[in-house]
Amino acid sequence: MDQKRRKILQALGGTGAVIAAQPYLSFPAFAQNAPLRVGIIAPKAGIAGTIGECGLRGTQFAVDRINAGGGIAGRRVELIVEEETNPKDSIERLRKLVLQDKVDCVQGIVSSGVSLAMGAVAEEMKALTIFWDGTTQDGVKETMVNPRYVFKSTDNECEAVMGSLLAVKHWKGKFKTIAGINPDYSYGRNNFAAFQALLKKFGIEHTVVADQWPKVGTTDLNSHVAALKAAKPDLVFSSLLFADLPIFMRTAHGAGLMDGGTKFVFPAAGFQHTALKKSFTPAGMIFGHNTLYFDHPNASALQKQFVREYEDKYKDYPHWEADRAYFAMKVYQAGVEAAYKAKGAWPNQEDVINAIEGVKVESLGGPGMMRKDHIAEQTFYQGITTHNNRYDFPTLATPVDVMYSDQLQKPTGMDFWKWIETATIKL
Amino acid sequence: MTAFVDILFGGVFHAAVLFLVAAGLQLVFGVQKIVNLACGSFYALGAYFGISAVNWALKLGLPPQLFLGVLLLAGLVLGLIGPVIEALLRTVYHRDEAFQLLLTFALVLMFQDVLRFFWGANPQQLGDLVMSYGKLSAGGVIVPTYNMLVILASIVIAAGIGTFLQRTRFGRILRATAENREMSQGLGVNVRWMYASVFTLGTVLGTVGGALVVPTAAASLDMPVELVVEAFAVVVIGGLGSMRGALAGALIVGIMRALAIRYYAELEMLAIYLVVIAVLIARPVGLFGKPVE
Amino acid sequence: MRLAVIIAAVVALAAFPKLATPYYVTLLLPALAYAIALLGFNLLFGYTGLLSFGHALFVAIGAYGAAVMSSKLGVKSFELILLASGAAAVVAAVPVALLSVRYVRIFFGILTLAFGMLFHSFLFKFYDITGGDTGIRVLRPSLIGMDFKELDKTSFLVGPFYYYCLVLLVLAGLLMWRLVHSPFGLQLQAIRENPRKAEYLGVRVRLLRFIAFLISALYCALGGVILAINTGQSDPELAYWTHSGELVFMTVLGGFASFFGPVVGAFTFVLLKAELMGLTQYWRFVLGVILVLIVVLFPRGLAGLGQAAWHKLRGARP
Repeated sequence: MDQKRRKILQALGGTGAVIAAQPYLSFPAFAQNAPLRVGIIAPKAGIAGTIGECGLRGTQFAVDRINAGGGIAGRRVELIVEEETNPKDSIERLRKLVLQDKVDCVQGIVSSGVSLAMGAVAEEMKALTIFWDGTTQDGVKETMVNPRYVFKSTDNECEAVMGSLLAVKHWKGKFKTIAGINPDYSYGRNNFAAFQALLKKFGIEHTVVADQWPKVGTTDLNSHVAALKAAKPDLVFSSLLFADLPIFMRTAHGAGLMDGGTKFVFPAAGFQHTALKKSFTPAGMIFGHNTLYFDHPNASALQKQFVREYEDKYKDYPHWEADRAYFAMKVYQAGVEAAYKAKGAWPNQEDVINAIEGVKVESLGGPGMMRKDHIAEQTFYQGITTHNNRYDFPTLATPVDVMYSDQLQKPTGMDFWKWIETATIKL
Repeated sequence: MTAFVDILFGGVFHAAVLFLVAAGLQLVFGVQKIVNLACGSFYALGAYFGISAVNWALKLGLPPQLFLGVLLLAGLVLGLIGPVIEALLRTVYHRDEAFQLLLTFALVLMFQDVLRFFWGANPQQLGDLVMSYGKLSAGGVIVPTYNMLVILASIVIAAGIGTFLQRTRFGRILRATAENREMSQGLGVNVRWMYASVFTLGTVLGTVGGALVVPTAAASLDMPVELVVEAFAVVVIGGLGSMRGALAGALIVGIMRALAIRYYAELEMLAIYLVVIAVLIARPVGLFGKPVE
Repeated sequence: MRLAVIIAAVVALAAFPKLATPYYVTLLLPALAYAIALLGFNLLFGYTGLLSFGHALFVAIGAYGAAVMSSKLGVKSFELILLASGAAAVVAAVPVALLSVRYVRIFFGILTLAFGMLFHSFLFKFYDITGGDTGIRVLRPSLIGMDFKELDKTSFLVGPFYYYCLVLLVLAGLLMWRLVHSPFGLQLQAIRENPRKAEYLGVRVRLLRFIAFLISALYCALGGVILAINTGQSDPELAYWTHSGELVFMTVLGGFASFFGPVVGAFTFVLLKAELMGLTQYWRFVLGVILVLIVVLFPRGLAGLGQAAWHKLRGARP
């Protein structure tokens, strides 16, 4: 039995050292203990349904492995899954999980609106919560300063910053006019604003010739593409990330927007990567895969196994939400096990929270950690698209650009715009 | 100039799609005085089913060029749910309109989960099939041939409905029933059968619309509730119950939207609402609507 | 007899926090909020015969009013927030009502739906003012000047806030009762039955519809304030047309032909939806089926069923 555990832990460990692995080996088997209950709140329907689905698969992968290895500090993990809808109803679900089901931890959340509302309620209820995604920012201004019980994902602007940096690195001097087509909500607005701020920082002269804000989920982008064509931009920046992204790609290709040597930056393309078929998605564009690039040649054994199993089971390739979900579960596991080891007895919530602050884990997509200010740090992947692969959709050409989020998001307590202005950001 | 033609074309394409859905709404309202909130659900159903049908046909070896036919067929076949839904609605014909509206709202709720049950949470696409018909280019304006085909299809359908209503016997009876149901019944018209056919026709317009559009777009779970708003805007502008209104309203909404996107991108949907309000103030019954008592 | 039932219900509601778990008590807060909102909504629907599919717009105004006042203007008084949000809703209702009451029946429903979505678009788009898809925070208000600082949010919600809202519901109910039993209310019902006849008899149809619309908007906004405080955030989805649809669903579920129907509907729906969401992921389908059953088989809703059962018990059926 110990041999098997060791093998699993080695697989979990991957290329990096995992704090969770070492202490675990010395836990006695508490097989009879009550299970650890984790509440998951994720969207199942509507526009974010597919995102929630991928995330849940990541959680399940993590939990299957954890339980196969004997659980967290000897206790099995049990999931209670609730649906994320709008803030009002999602908060009711949170209350049910915390007050009624008495879960030990809540994880999940994809939408920014819900995360903001839920963060406040979780703090008031003193419920340990780890967000997959969403953001607690108003624009890029932090609205949940100094949370105690809530742990947040990397800031939303990470992919925008990285995409912008890549654009500068690869195409500096090759574009003067830019156009934006971004979803009309906070994510889209932040992304485009961040892009422009970074261009300014690196002293790149540019004029915005078109500025499109399609309603989230629009399925007819013909007019938008026509407007972009009319403006004749050198570079198009688009943070479209839902079903509208493949539609845009196809429409733009069909309308000839890609024929004139226009450069494209898509910081969030990874969400829809399998739907962006080669026939209308040319090579040479900047694509962002956030914290999980499924085809990375230097991926850890853990990621490779995950992608393999995902492909077998679901006939699809995962995107980064699975990694976010996995990361949240690992962070929780790491915190509990570290606290257990330190205390010598089962830790209470305060112990766990203190242990999670500063904890390092190996997520599917690479190393990550949880900062003391409760914001995550993870590894980000972006690159230039290539058709040189065995799929019917483009992947990233090697070498893939890898950046750790401490170069992509504002440090504790700093204002985003100030940080962009003053920080030394290397390309 | 080419830019303007591009924009116009985009607007007309959008109008073509809206027209199909709005026409279904108008037909059903004109005769049965029911406003179908589930029109968006039929549209989404057509889109999802169309994708499945095409994928299935391709797997059976159908040459890609024929996929348009498969879509049309898929949309028509789906029309079979029309009579089923109509039978359900029949139970509330004699009741207050509020109940009819509510029943269609219940359908919206149910369809959302039906779609998710059969097709899952992932948005579905037909990849690059739309490219099989190539592009048309004339003097700098590049348009996918498929989009042109959709516009033509809409025009044919519009003309078809017009002819059907004006020239055929069934059409005349339909219009008569719309005007005065009791009189029609008194003159021996089988109103029950008429209602079933009209509703089915309205459903088919929606499902065919969804199926035709899906190659250029995608099928996603939020379609049913999103489309209703635009469809209603068309109907308010054009006038409830009028086919000509559906056409005019669709064109206005489509072109206004395209123009707004080009010249004042921030407005987009709001531009349409402004037109709706303007029409309401200036001509309350809509452009082609008849005053209701 | 009816009075006894009502008093028993109020007492039960008052005792609820002592008997039930905190989760269910927090569930009752939206129920109270919707009960107030629906009392107003039904004035327009049940009594005047106008079905609006856009009243979530006013609920949203209430919510955003609470948000703006508490987090942007720093107003902490619950009373002031209620007043201001209510006033804002009435002001917003004026143009909507003016344009909509010209029409009846189905057209009225479509128009109100369009207005509701217009507001939703506005909330979404002007994110500098409204916070866009994220919305605006709603801070804890003070009740009659008292802060209850020693209580955490959950205790505050299931304690003083719950009782305050219960009192609000009773007061709102009393006010509405007087309204519908006044000449105003009788005239509204006359309009619903036969507008032309009512007009002929001297009833100022358009004016009364207009006033009923404004009152319904006011009640919906009050409900929205309570919802927002419970959630802690106001967001644009509150104005979406399917939320308006839920308002109608609740009213019909409870029974629109009865005064208390909407209140019953609010409580039933909130609890039913919460339980369903925990039981199955296809809860929307189940709700749809329930709505179909009500519309087809039980159009008078739960209140109607209750009345029928009561009559049967008393043997008063002929």
